[in-house]
Amino acid sequence: MPHTITVPPEKAMLERDTRHSMRKKILKLVVYIFLTAYSIVNLFPILWMFMNSFKSDDAFSQSVLAWPKQWLFANYAEAWRVAKLGLYFSNSMIIGVLAVLFTVLLGAFASYFLARFRFKHQTKIYNYFVFGMLIPIHATLVPLFILENKLHMQNSYLSLIVPYIAFGLPITIFILVSFMKSFSKDIEESAIMDGCGPLRIFWSIILPMSMPSIATVVIINFINNWNEFSFALVLVSNPDLKTVPLGLSNFVGQYTTSYTTQMAGLTMALIPVIIVFLCLESYLVKGMTAGAVKG
Amino acid sequence: MHLLNRNKWLIWLGISPSLIVYTLFCMIPIGISFYYSFQNWDGFSDPSFIGLDNFAALMKDQVFWSSLKNNMFVLLASVLGQIPIALLFALLLNSKLRGAKFFRTVGFLPVAISTVIISLTWNMIYNTQYGLINTLLKAVGLDHLAHNWLGDPKWAMLAVCLTIIWQYVGLYLVIFLAALQNVPAETLEAAEIDGATGFVKTVKIIIPMIWGTILVSVILCISGSLKTFDLIYVMTNGGPAHTTDVMAIYMFNKTFSSFQYGYGSAISVAIFVVSLLLISVASRLLKAKED
Repeated sequence: MPHTITVPPEKAMLERDTRHSMRKKILKLVVYIFLTAYSIVNLFPILWMFMNSFKSDDAFSQSVLAWPKQWLFANYAEAWRVAKLGLYFSNSMIIGVLAVLFTVLLGAFASYFLARFRFKHQTKIYNYFVFGMLIPIHATLVPLFILENKLHMQNSYLSLIVPYIAFGLPITIFILVSFMKSFSKDIEESAIMDGCGPLRIFWSIILPMSMPSIATVVIINFINNWNEFSFALVLVSNPDLKTVPLGLSNFVGQYTTSYTTQMAGLTMALIPVIIVFLCLESYLVKGMTAGAVKG
Repeated sequence: MHLLNRNKWLIWLGISPSLIVYTLFCMIPIGISFYYSFQNWDGFSDPSFIGLDNFAALMKDQVFWSSLKNNMFVLLASVLGQIPIALLFALLLNSKLRGAKFFRTVGFLPVAISTVIISLTWNMIYNTQYGLINTLLKAVGLDHLAHNWLGDPKWAMLAVCLTIIWQYVGLYLVIFLAALQNVPAETLEAAEIDGATGFVKTVKIIIPMIWGTILVSVILCISGSLKTFDLIYVMTNGGPAHTTDVMAIYMFNKTFSSFQYGYGSAISVAIFVVSLLLISVASRLLKAKED
C-alpha cells in the first residue's frame, strides 16, 4: 500500500509542474505581445515620420507606407534653410543654457539655506515656492506680456530667460531641498570645527554632495525650456529671437505644401532631444516623477 | 548649526534672488491678472474700471462654458485613459522580464518630446489624404471609416484626446514603476507564484499598496489637463467651430486676436480659480482615502 501511495502524487506533481510551466510560458507570451504592441504604438508615429522624411513628394503621395526607394537628403537641406532651423537651434540653446544655469545656481543657493538652516518663516517661504508648481502658467501669459512690455524686456533673450527661471524655481527648490535635507548634521559641525564659513560649506561640501539631484534638475529644466511653447508664442515677437518649437509651428503653417520637408524639419528638431533622452533617461525620470512617489 | 543660524543677513541674501525673480514673474502676474480683469482694455488705449462686468459677461458667454466643458472632457479622457493604461503596463513591466528596460524607455519617450513636434506629427497622422490612419483603413478595405479627423466636429475632440493620452501615458508608467519598486519583493513573488489566476490577486494586493501614488497621479493628471494649450493650439486652434476650444485657447484668442485684454484677464482668473478648486477637491479626496 505505501508503495502505491507514494508514486502517484509524485507523478501528479510532475504533471502539475509541466502544466504550470506551460501556463507560465503562455502568460509570458501574452505579456510580451501586449508590451510589443504598446512599443509599436509609441514608436510608429516617429519612425513613420522619419521614413517619409527621406522621400520625394511624389513618392510620398504614391504611398505613405512604402519603404523609400531612394533616400533623399534634399528635404533636410531644404527644411534647414527654409525653416531657419540653424537660427532657432542657436536661440533655443542660448536661452535654454542661460536659463538652466541661473535657475540651478539661484535654486541651489536658496535650497541650501532652506534645507540646512533654521530661521523665521522658513516653512512659509518653502511652501510659497512649492506652490508655484500648481500655478497654471496660462493664467500668467497675458499679465507677463503686459509686465514685460512695461519693463521693456521684449526684443531680448531676457524676455524668455527670466520667466523660464521663475517657473523653473519651484520644481528645482522642491527637488534640491528634499535631497539636501537627507544629509547628516555632522557634516556642517565638523566643517565649522575646521573653520569653514557657511559659503565655503555650500560651495565645497553641500553642492558637490548634491550632484545627483543637481543633474536631475538640470535635465528637467533644460527639457522643459527646450520644449516650451506658450511663453515663446506670447512673449517673443521678433522673428530673430524665436525658439525651435515656435519656429517649427510657423514653418509648417507657411509651407504645408511639402509634407516631406515638414517631416525632415521635425526629425531634425527631434534628434537632439532623443540623444539627451537616451543618455540621461534616469535623471529625467527622477525629475519628472519627483513628488509623486514617496521614498 | 547654531553658529551658522546667526548669519541672518546671509540667509536672506541667499534666498532673496530666487524669491524676487519668482515673486516678480510668477506670483505678481497672477495679481496683475486680477487687476486687469476689472478693466475694459484693448491693450492700446487707457484701461477703464468696469467692476465685475467682465465676469458678468463671462457667465453669459456660451463659448466660455463650452470651453470649460471641453476642458473637463480632456480632463476625464486623461484621467480615465492615461492612468489605467499606465497602470496595466507598469504591472506587466514590473515582473522580471527580459527587455523591461527597453519597454520602459520606449514608453517614456513621448513625454520628453516637444508638444509642438507631437502635434505636427499627429496632424500628419490624422491628415485626410495622406494620413497614416486613413491609409491603414483603406488598406484593410474600410474606406467608409476614413474621416477628416481634425476637421470633423464629431471627431476632432476625440482625435485630440487620443494624442494627449498617447503623449502622457509614459509619465504615469514610470511613476507607477517607481512606486512598484517600493512594494516588498516577497509580496510580489507570492502573488506571482499563483500565475494567471494570480493576476486578480496581484491587482488586489498591489493596487492598495500603491494607492497613494495612484491618487497623486490623478492630481498631476488633473492639473496637467487644465494646462492643455500647446497641443490644441497647434493641432486645431480650438476649431472646428469651437469644438476643441479649451479655456486657455479661448483666453489666448480673446486677448491676442480680439484684443480684449480685460476680458482675457478675466478668463485667466477663471482658469486660476478652476485649477485651484479642482486640485484642492482632488487632494481632499486623496487625504480622505488615506485616513
